[in-house]
Amino acid sequence: MGIREAIAVALGTLRAHKLRSFLTLLGVIISVCTLVAVVAMVQGVNTYVGSKIARLGSNIFSVSQFSLNEMTNPVRFMRARETNPIIRYQDYQFLRANARLPRAIGAQTQRTGTVKHNGRSLDEVNISGVTPNVLGMSAFQVANGRFLAPTDEQRRAYVAFVGPDIVTHLFGGANPLGRHILVSGQQYEIIGVATAQGDVFGQSQDNFVMIPLRTYQKIYGNQDSITLDVQARGARLLPATMDEMEMLMRVRRHLSWNEKNNFGIIGSDALMTLWHTLTGAIASVMVGVSFVFLVVGGIVIMNIMLAAVTERTQEVGMRKAVGARRSDILWQFLVESAVLSTVGGLIGVLLAYLFTLAAGALTPIPFSLPLGAVVLAVVISTLVGLFFGVYPASKAARLTPIAALHSEV
Amino acid sequence: MATPTIHQPSATTATPYAGDREVVIRTENLWKIYQMGSEQVAALRGVNLQIYRNEYVAIMGPSGSGKSTLMNLIGCLDSPTRGEYWLSGHLVSALDDDELARIRNQEIGFVFQTFNLLPRTSALHNVELPLIYSGAPPAERTERAMAALQQVDLGSRVHHKPNELSGGQRQRVAIARALVNRPSIILADEPTGNLDSTTSNEIMALLEVLWERGNTIVLVTHEHDIAEHAHRVIHIRDGQVAGDTRTRRGDAVANRPPAPPA
Repeated sequence: MGIREAIAVALGTLRAHKLRSFLTLLGVIISVCTLVAVVAMVQGVNTYVGSKIARLGSNIFSVSQFSLNEMTNPVRFMRARETNPIIRYQDYQFLRANARLPRAIGAQTQRTGTVKHNGRSLDEVNISGVTPNVLGMSAFQVANGRFLAPTDEQRRAYVAFVGPDIVTHLFGGANPLGRHILVSGQQYEIIGVATAQGDVFGQSQDNFVMIPLRTYQKIYGNQDSITLDVQARGARLLPATMDEMEMLMRVRRHLSWNEKNNFGIIGSDALMTLWHTLTGAIASVMVGVSFVFLVVGGIVIMNIMLAAVTERTQEVGMRKAVGARRSDILWQFLVESAVLSTVGGLIGVLLAYLFTLAAGALTPIPFSLPLGAVVLAVVISTLVGLFFGVYPASKAARLTPIAALHSEV
Repeated sequence: MATPTIHQPSATTATPYAGDREVVIRTENLWKIYQMGSEQVAALRGVNLQIYRNEYVAIMGPSGSGKSTLMNLIGCLDSPTRGEYWLSGHLVSALDDDELARIRNQEIGFVFQTFNLLPRTSALHNVELPLIYSGAPPAERTERAMAALQQVDLGSRVHHKPNELSGGQRQRVAIARALVNRPSIILADEPTGNLDSTTSNEIMALLEVLWERGNTIVLVTHEHDIAEHAHRVIHIRDGQVAGDTRTRRGDAVANRPPAPPA
């Protein structure tokens, strides 16, 4: 019996028992759906985060108290807290005075706090002290009014550039320019409003108040470490600029040749690497879970195939009587089992596709169906069907034609 | 493969037919012993038979007589414990599983009491089934299956599924399936057991037509009326041949010149 007849027989059986087949296939459907959806999600989120990181500004990296490596490992972080001094305003001035390669060096530091206006208040607002030149290096833009100016910095003025959330929540959408907000007991005049950036993973990007860095330090002291944003003059100069910053920081900290950096230099590629490690961990857990589903799905298929063999004992007998060999019967049931689980795989892919469509419509993340994962999932589901079909099929093939024909069903 | 020798009936074997006609089935001292727990039960105790080409034979016997066992052996569904069985010159009692499958495919056309059609498949495809297992190309398959269905007067119902056909029509599909590979014998196991008497007569008439076209028919039944349609009746009792007689119809056709091959 050729493969086409075998597949036709298998599809016929599938059509005849639609509900039963569907229930049988749930395991495979869920597992393939999870597998494909997770890969699609991870890829989509990676693309999204990649584009967000790229939007932070081109050729920008930061110098901070801790390296990524230290920030992502509790043990290393505890150690680094002892060894890495905070980055101070003086460090910023030193770098600005001595660096020759960067186009600009900005500085910022932040904390969260409550912002009040006229009896209303907004919690968990990101309060940043920034230098005026961070405007060109960050994602936000001025929608209304102006950004912080160098004179605000010099005067340590009580002025604030705010995110649209502040306007919506505290001013009910009315023009806030020239009006005042209260942050940590200090009044600030609003001089500008940023354009809306929306959410990233449900986290509003518009919930901030920016004040001059020197004003920030006057109010909150200088014990918060500063992060320096450095912009290179172009992609080709980025590595050299990073080297220069590292060198200058080491000089400033008087590190000898055999001492490690006690600060961090974080480029967008390092951020991407970190991100991939995170999503990779999530993906591998989900893939593991979906394989468990797959094994369960395979066992269910084996069970239903065993039932099918019993149910169709007479059919097997008749086929043998008209000339089917053992191998023909084996082949028939193997193909049936494989077709069954492949159909499950295809349904799973379809569901995953619908999922990515829905997720793509509801979130800003660009989901797409990863072709490699689709092919892999379908091939794996076929193999599962073949593997778990072996026992039922060999049971069918071993039926003697007499026993098969005379069984009363 | 077995030698293609055609065994002529030996002088010691009693047979109602004399002459030099070709032997299709020949069994010699056929035994079948089943192991039932610790006991051995002999279902067949040395059966000797000869059936010639274009004979119409009924095998009769009450249940438990060994009739079914004999049919299984003749149909190559089972192997004898002892003895030899020659079918169209092949010593089939010595063949393994796959070779038996090939013999069943090429040499035997089965007709069952319960029709045993594939339920969700058209009449045409049901009839094609033996051709699929013999590896015939699709175009030839369809052509031959159509021809077989026309032989049983179902040329107009080839695309009907079994549940769209009457009992008699279903059995005719099964007969077409039995015919399609041009087997040496058509082996019908209680072919009318599930049919009413009118339809039974129809089916028996069809078998008669097939015989006239040159087919060899072996009918297994426990009903006298049905056996009377055959030309020769072999009675089985206690695992042995208890009688071998020519029926009235047999007498009638014996006095007729043999039918030309189909």
